[in-house]
Amino acid sequence: MMLLRTLQRQPLHGYALVQHIKRASGDLLQIEEGSLYPALQRMLKDGMLKAHWGLSSTGRRVRIYQITPAGTKHLDREVSSFDRMLEGIRLVLTPEES
Amino acid sequence: MSWIRNLLSRRRIDRDIADEIQAHLDEKVDSLVAQGLSRERALLAARREFGNVAHYQERGRDVWRWRPVEEFFADLRFALRQLRKAPAFTLAGVLTLALGIGANTAVFSVVDAVILRPLPFPDSDRLVSVQSRARNGRADSLSYPTFFDFRGRNRVFEHLVCFRDTEMGLSGAGAPVELSGQIVSWDLFAALRVRPAAGRGFLPEEEKSGQRGVVLSHRLWAERFSADPSIVGRSIDLDRQPYTVVGVAPRGFNFPIGSRTVQFWTTLAVDAASATGTPITEQRGARLLDAVARLKPGISPGRAKAAMDAIAAALARQYPDENKNVPATVVVPEIEAVVGDTRPPILILLGAVGLVLLVACANMANLLLARTAERQREFALRSAIGAGGGRLVRQLLVEGLTLSAAGAAAGILVAAGCLRAAARLAADSIPRIEQAAIDGRVLVFSVGLAFATTVLFSLAPAYRIARARLIAPLKQSSAGAVAGKDRLRNALVVFQIALGLVLLSGAGLLASGFLHLMRRDPGFQPRGLVSFSVSLPQALQRGTKHLDFDNRLLDRLASLPGVASAATTSTLPLAGHQMTISFNVEERPSAPSEHPACEMAFVSPEYFQTVGIRLLEGRLFTEADDGQSPPVLVVNRAFADKFFPGERVPGKRIEPGAAANHTRMGMREIVGVVGNARQDSLGAAPDPIYYYVAKQLPWCCGSYVVRTSGSPLALESSVRSVVASLDSGAPVYGVRTLDDVLSAGIAGPRFHALLLGAFALIALALTAVGLYGVLTYSVLTRTREIGIRVAMGARRGDVLRMILKEAGVLVGAGVAIGVAGARAGNRLAADIAPAAAIPQPALLFLACGVILAAAALAAWFPARRAASVDPMTALRGE
Repeated sequence: MMLLRTLQRQPLHGYALVQHIKRASGDLLQIEEGSLYPALQRMLKDGMLKAHWGLSSTGRRVRIYQITPAGTKHLDREVSSFDRMLEGIRLVLTPEES
Repeated sequence: MSWIRNLLSRRRIDRDIADEIQAHLDEKVDSLVAQGLSRERALLAARREFGNVAHYQERGRDVWRWRPVEEFFADLRFALRQLRKAPAFTLAGVLTLALGIGANTAVFSVVDAVILRPLPFPDSDRLVSVQSRARNGRADSLSYPTFFDFRGRNRVFEHLVCFRDTEMGLSGAGAPVELSGQIVSWDLFAALRVRPAAGRGFLPEEEKSGQRGVVLSHRLWAERFSADPSIVGRSIDLDRQPYTVVGVAPRGFNFPIGSRTVQFWTTLAVDAASATGTPITEQRGARLLDAVARLKPGISPGRAKAAMDAIAAALARQYPDENKNVPATVVVPEIEAVVGDTRPPILILLGAVGLVLLVACANMANLLLARTAERQREFALRSAIGAGGGRLVRQLLVEGLTLSAAGAAAGILVAAGCLRAAARLAADSIPRIEQAAIDGRVLVFSVGLAFATTVLFSLAPAYRIARARLIAPLKQSSAGAVAGKDRLRNALVVFQIALGLVLLSGAGLLASGFLHLMRRDPGFQPRGLVSFSVSLPQALQRGTKHLDFDNRLLDRLASLPGVASAATTSTLPLAGHQMTISFNVEERPSAPSEHPACEMAFVSPEYFQTVGIRLLEGRLFTEADDGQSPPVLVVNRAFADKFFPGERVPGKRIEPGAAANHTRMGMREIVGVVGNARQDSLGAAPDPIYYYVAKQLPWCCGSYVVRTSGSPLALESSVRSVVASLDSGAPVYGVRTLDDVLSAGIAGPRFHALLLGAFALIALALTAVGLYGVLTYSVLTRTREIGIRVAMGARRGDVLRMILKEAGVLVGAGVAIGVAGARAGNRLAADIAPAAAIPQPALLFLACGVILAAAALAAWFPARRAASVDPMTALRGE
C-alpha cells in the first residue's frame, strides 16, 4: 500500500523507493531493504506495476517501476478498507462519552 | 497457461532481479561513501541493511513460479537420479515392464486382427462357408454341377456364390504381368453386400459361355490404369483374350479373405468355355470350388446345414459315380472358415502372454518391495530431517511413475518390433495377420495395469513409512520384517517358477517338433533348384502345341551356363495336394465309386533326375515314351507300399481316370518305382503319387524346374530372356527356389515355436529377476541375523548355503507345481506341435534343468552378498 502510494506520485527505482519510504516515515519504519523486492515482483506479476530499465539520477542503469491503472484501483480499494479499519479501531479505542 | 511462458522467460526475470538488486547495493554503497565511510565498511553496511541477498532474490523469483510444477520437476529430476544410481533395479524394472507390456500388446493385437475382428463386409455374421462333407468326415470342395444343384435347390440362402483361384496374364497395359484372380459365380458382390467403387458387379447372364466380364481390384485399377474412371466398359487383355471391365472393387476390398491379394474377379463363364474336351462346369467329378453364402433372415447355420445335407444326399443317390462319396455338407460361419486352424494356437499364445503379463506385474511388485525395504533408512533419515510424510509418498509416486513411463515407452517399441517380426515370420500361414497393428485399447490396458502395479507397490510401503514410527528403522533393526508379506512374495516367486516351467516345456515341445520337421529328408534335393511358371497364350494351350514349346524351352534352359538339367511337372514337391484321380487296379477291378484314388502328376522324362528323386526299381521315363508307345506310369514308394504291399510293382497295370482327348483311357503299365518326395511339408507320412509322362498326357500347363550349380535366383533373368525369345508376350511368374518353398511350408510351426520360445525366455528372465528380488530382500532384512551368525562362528560357506537353501525351497516348490502344469500344458501344445523328435519326459527334464540353472544364477548374487556381510558393520549399523 505504501509502495503503491509512493509510486502513484512518481515512478521510482528500488533504491529510491526505499529511501523515499524511509524518509517519509521519518525513519520510523525499519525494514530490511531487500524485502522490498519480492513485494515489487508480486505486484509486477499481478499487473499493478509495470517496469522498465532506465537511468537513475546517479547515472546508473536501474529498473524503474510505475503504477498501472489496475494498481491505482487496487490502491484505492486498499486505502478505503484501511481507512474503515482505522475508523473501527478508533471507535473502539475512543472512551465512550457519556 | 501463463506459467509456461513464465518458465520460458524465467532466465530473463532471474537476471533482472539480480541486476536490480546489484544496482541497489551499488547505489547504497555510493551514498554511504559520499557520507564519509570507507568503501569496505560501506559495503558491509549496505549488506546489513539490505538483508540476505540470496534469500530475497529467491523470494523474488518464487513469485513467478508455479510451485506444484516446479516441485514435480524437482521430484522427477530426483527420481531419475535415484534410478540412475540403481542401474540394476532400473534395468530389471524397465525390462520387466517392457516385456510384459510389449508382448501382451503385440499378441493381443494379432489375436484381434486374426480372430476377433469381424470380416470386413456388411452383416458379415450372416455369411457362411459351404463345402461338401466326404464319407471319411473331411470337408471337400464342390464341383460346378454340384454347386449349380445346391444353388438351384436350396431355400435357405439369399445367395450362394462359388469361387476358385486363377492366374491370368495381363498384356497391353505396360509390361505383361501375371495377375492373381478369382473365378466366381455372378452374385459375389451382391452376396457380400459390397458396392463396387465404379461400374457394377456381374449380371446373371455374364455366367454364360463366351461372356467375358471382369471386376478390377482398386489397387490394380490405380496402379495399372492410373485410376481412370472411364476404364469401365473398356476392354483389357487377359491371357490374350479381350475382357470387358464392368466394375472396380472398392478400396481395400479383398475376397476371399486371406493372405493372397486378389487383383481381379471374373465369372465362371471362363470355365464354361473350354478349348479341350468337356468344360469343367459340366464335370461332376471335378471338385475344385469353394463357396460362400448369405443366410436368409431367420435361418441359422444349423438349419441351413440340415437343408443342404438333404440336397447332398439326394445328389449322392442321383449321381452315385461322382457324388456317392460326398453325401453331406459342412456349413460354418465364414469367419470360422477363414480363421480355421489358427484359432487354437493363437489362443494358446494369448494364454501364454497373459501369464507373462501377470508374471511381469508380480515381478514389479517384488522388485519395488525389495527396493523400498532397501531404502527404508533413507526415508527414515529424510523424514527425521524434516521431510513430511506426504512429500515422501509423492516422491515415491513420482519414482514409480517415471519407471512405468520408461517401461511403457520401451514396451511400445517391443510391441512394434514384435508385430513386425510376427508378420514376417507368420508369412502366409496366418490369414489377416498383415492387418495387425498396435491395438490402442490393449496398449492402454497393459500400460494401465503396469502403472497401477508400480504405483500400488511403490505406495504400499510408502504408506507404511508415512504412518509408522519413522525413527524406528533408524535406531532399531530391520529384523522385524513382516512374515505375512514374505509369504506373499514367496508365493509369487513359486508361481513364477511354475509358470516359467510350463512355458519352457511347451516351447521345448514345439521347438523339437520343428527341428524334427527341418531335419526330415524331403525326398529330393532342394539345393540349387528353381521353379517357375509361364502363362502360355490360348493358342499354345490347345492340343499338343504346348509340348513343342516345352521341348524348345527345356532345350534352351539346359544349354544355359551352370544349368545341369531342366524339366516340367504338373506338381512340384511340397506344393501340397493338387490333383487326386482315382484308378482301377487290373488284378482287383471294382465299381467306379469304389476305386482307390491318390495324387497324380505328369512330368517330363528328365524330372526325377532334375529334382533329385532316386529310382528304386524298374526304369524311369525316356524320350521314347510318347503318344505312340505303350502307355506307362511311374509310382513312388508310398504308392507301391499302399496299393501293392510286399509285391514287385514294375509290371503291374492300373487304369487311371485321366486322359487327354486324343489318347484313350485304358490299362497302363507301371514301369518304375521312385523315392518319396514330400508333397506336403507338414504331413507325417509321405503321400502316394503316380506319374504320367507328359507326352502321354498332354495337359496344359505344368511348372518348370531347373537345377543350377550357380546362384539359383541369378538364373531368373536368363530364364526370362529365354522365354521372351520363344514367345515375347508370355509372362514368367512364380520364380522361386525350392529352398524357399521348403521353408515357407514350415512357416507355421516355426512361428509357433519361435513365439512360444520367446515367451518362455521372457518368463525365464522375469522369474530369475523375481527370485533375485526376493532373495535380495530377504538378505537385506536379515543382515543383523547373518551378522550375529557370522560373529558366533558361522563360516561364509554356511551363510552361502543358508541363502541357497532358502532359494532351493522356493525353486523346488515351483518346479513341483510346474511339472504338473507342464504336463497339462503340453497336451494343449501337442495339438499345434508337429510330431516331436524328442520324447516329452526328456523335454520336461531339460526344461527343469534350464529353470534350475537360471534360478541358481539368480540366487548366487544375493547369497554372495549375504556371505560377505561383515558382522561388525552389520551389528554396529543396527
